[in-house]
Amino acid sequence: MGEHLTFIGSVTAQLVRAVPVTLLILAVSGVCATVLATGLTAMSVARSPLPRLVQRTWTFLFRGTPLILQIFMIYYGFAMVPWIRHGILWAAFRDPVFCTCLAMTCCCSAYIAEIFRGALAAVPRGEIEAGRACGMTGFMLLRRVIAPSLIRIALPSYSNEIIMMTKSTSLASTITVLDITGVAQQVIAHSYRTLEVFCAAAALYLLINATLSTLLTALERRLDVDRAPTPLAPIPPTLEPLS
Amino acid sequence: MTVPPPVLTATNIRKSFGDREVLAGVSLEAREGEVISILGGSGSGKSTFLRCLNLLEVPDEGQIAIGDVQAPLARNRHGRLEVSDSRAAARLRTQTAMVFQGFNLWPHLTVLQNVMEAPLRVHRRDREEVLATARSLLERVGMAGFHAAYPKRLSGGQQQRVAIARALATNPKLVLFDEPTSALDPERVREVLALMRSLADEGRTMIVVTHEMAFARDVSSRVVHLMNGRVESSGPPAHMFGADASPAFRAFLSPAAL
Amino acid sequence: MMDDLAILGFGPDGWAPLLLKGCLLTLAVSAASMAIGTVLGILLAWARLKGPRWLRRAALVYGVILRGVPELLVILLLYFGLPSLILSLSETFGWEAPGLPPPFLIGSVSVGLVSAAYQAEIFRGGVGAIPRGQFEAARAMGFSDLMCFHRIVLPQVARVVLPALGNVWQFNLKDSALIAVTGLSELMRTSLVAAGSTRHPFLFFGVAMALYLVLTTLSSTAFHYGGRYSNRWDRG
Repeated sequence: MGEHLTFIGSVTAQLVRAVPVTLLILAVSGVCATVLATGLTAMSVARSPLPRLVQRTWTFLFRGTPLILQIFMIYYGFAMVPWIRHGILWAAFRDPVFCTCLAMTCCCSAYIAEIFRGALAAVPRGEIEAGRACGMTGFMLLRRVIAPSLIRIALPSYSNEIIMMTKSTSLASTITVLDITGVAQQVIAHSYRTLEVFCAAAALYLLINATLSTLLTALERRLDVDRAPTPLAPIPPTLEPLS
Repeated sequence: MTVPPPVLTATNIRKSFGDREVLAGVSLEAREGEVISILGGSGSGKSTFLRCLNLLEVPDEGQIAIGDVQAPLARNRHGRLEVSDSRAAARLRTQTAMVFQGFNLWPHLTVLQNVMEAPLRVHRRDREEVLATARSLLERVGMAGFHAAYPKRLSGGQQQRVAIARALATNPKLVLFDEPTSALDPERVREVLALMRSLADEGRTMIVVTHEMAFARDVSSRVVHLMNGRVESSGPPAHMFGADASPAFRAFLSPAAL
Repeated sequence: MMDDLAILGFGPDGWAPLLLKGCLLTLAVSAASMAIGTVLGILLAWARLKGPRWLRRAALVYGVILRGVPELLVILLLYFGLPSLILSLSETFGWEAPGLPPPFLIGSVSVGLVSAAYQAEIFRGGVGAIPRGQFEAARAMGFSDLMCFHRIVLPQVARVVLPALGNVWQFNLKDSALIAVTGLSELMRTSLVAAGSTRHPFLFFGVAMALYLVLTTLSSTAFHYGGRYSNRWDRG
């Protein structure tokens, strides 16, 4: 029993050392995907058909194929393309972490853009008309009226997507990245003690996801104007007592 | 003149939700052909009482019998009354029918299917016979042209008339109406009330929870006034709406209370 | 260029038959995991809605874990863990050791276990979306619980649930690519092997992507029409 605990302890220590790799992939691709998704959302409501077509194709392509295949395509497939292999980009494309981040950025931007698009459609028309009615246009309308509503509507689904992304980072292990899953596989190959190692790895992922969803829920609460206590003037102390 | 047999006997029904006592011992007997209107302010327990009669709510105390079939209520090991035999409860319910405030038509079935569902599936009656009954009932409630329509397409008044046809389709001994006109536009109220009046004239036994004073006065054979979970007063409408009415009921009727 | 066509064709050096077989296997393993997920998901939803307290807790914990841990980890756990579990079980009980579980079983069960966690949420939400009056109208007419479920609950749940199940199916289809790590020669694995042995990864991954697009597009069309049918009474 004691030996058991020592083993789990040492495995956990090894796995914890891989947490920064997982978090790095998550952070880079999370930020890039969100920025890209914002652009894609803007394209989806563009007046001319070309940007809309690009957004639709992008979504179709990256939501319709498995992420693992996209990662393999970028890591193994692009390596065979001469102008990448011998070009300046090779330094980046030979790095599995970069390839994972790139694939996840492309794939998750498609999902996030759909979330934003849905939220944009759900922003009440009346709010926008009210903004127009008091003379707002363009960027001001977007920043003062549309964006606040949109973020509030999109946040729950966006949080879900971030959790999905955390899980997806584990795919990096399939192209030799030593993230949590990668290290777990390595340890198993040495020790053959599957259950303990996977439970420790699973616990780490759950911990990361729990932390993220707590943070995002807190953000949701903060932004929820319907539920937040209204910042009114303090209640005067000399009210008549309720009967 | 012989007294017709009782269709419903409810004795000393009590019900609390948490600390709030909603029914503090209500008894009611309905004889064949009677139309009983239950009136009362909001929170007087009238809907809860009606829902106890077909065991949609399980009373904390009391006995219920439809015809000579006792409701299968027994105490569990905590001493609370509960439905002891859900099959027997279902059998009891097949003797009654209910019309709801919110219609509760099944949205995934057409008008005709809604009316045919219970006699076909629960009573397992012959399909041809059920179809003929359903057709004539829909004709009766003025919805003959809507057999294939889904409820969502209908107005509230139309939905309620279909719901009444659905309630009659099993030929129940007793029809319970739970504020059948409260969710309707004023102009739709009239068509539903007219239909209910014609059912009453036909000799159906009905118990109606309602806010429609004119209906209670003109159509019912007995009016029951519930207040604070008790029967405050009851009697034939001539008495209840006459000079000898109880002060509390008169206060309830006065516009200031409404 | 002619080389490309030859290795993609049906000829002796062509990979087309194997790729198509891979497609079928991908569909089969996705369907199996979807079915496992539906059965287990309904049980989990029932446990969370109507089960005793300990069962509610257990179903909740199941959902939190299976939705919070990477699918790949679940697949690897079953792939590496199941054989040793079976071995130690058969040793403990003195059974004759059965052979190793086939990759198809491991793959469909592990994706199915994850799928169940998501489907449970969908079914729970679907039942919650039916107004209480619907049950009451059925009970007032003397419907038994089973009949109420079959005639009233199921058709209405189907409408709410079908689009969401379509989503889960899409995820199942894509998660099935992860089963490649167990050596099951579904579409992903086949394209990987082809890419390796022909040294044309760009071509074969591209073809695999196209085939996945066909699968996801066809199935989303099917779910679209299924959804329209189950929704026919809701168009005002």
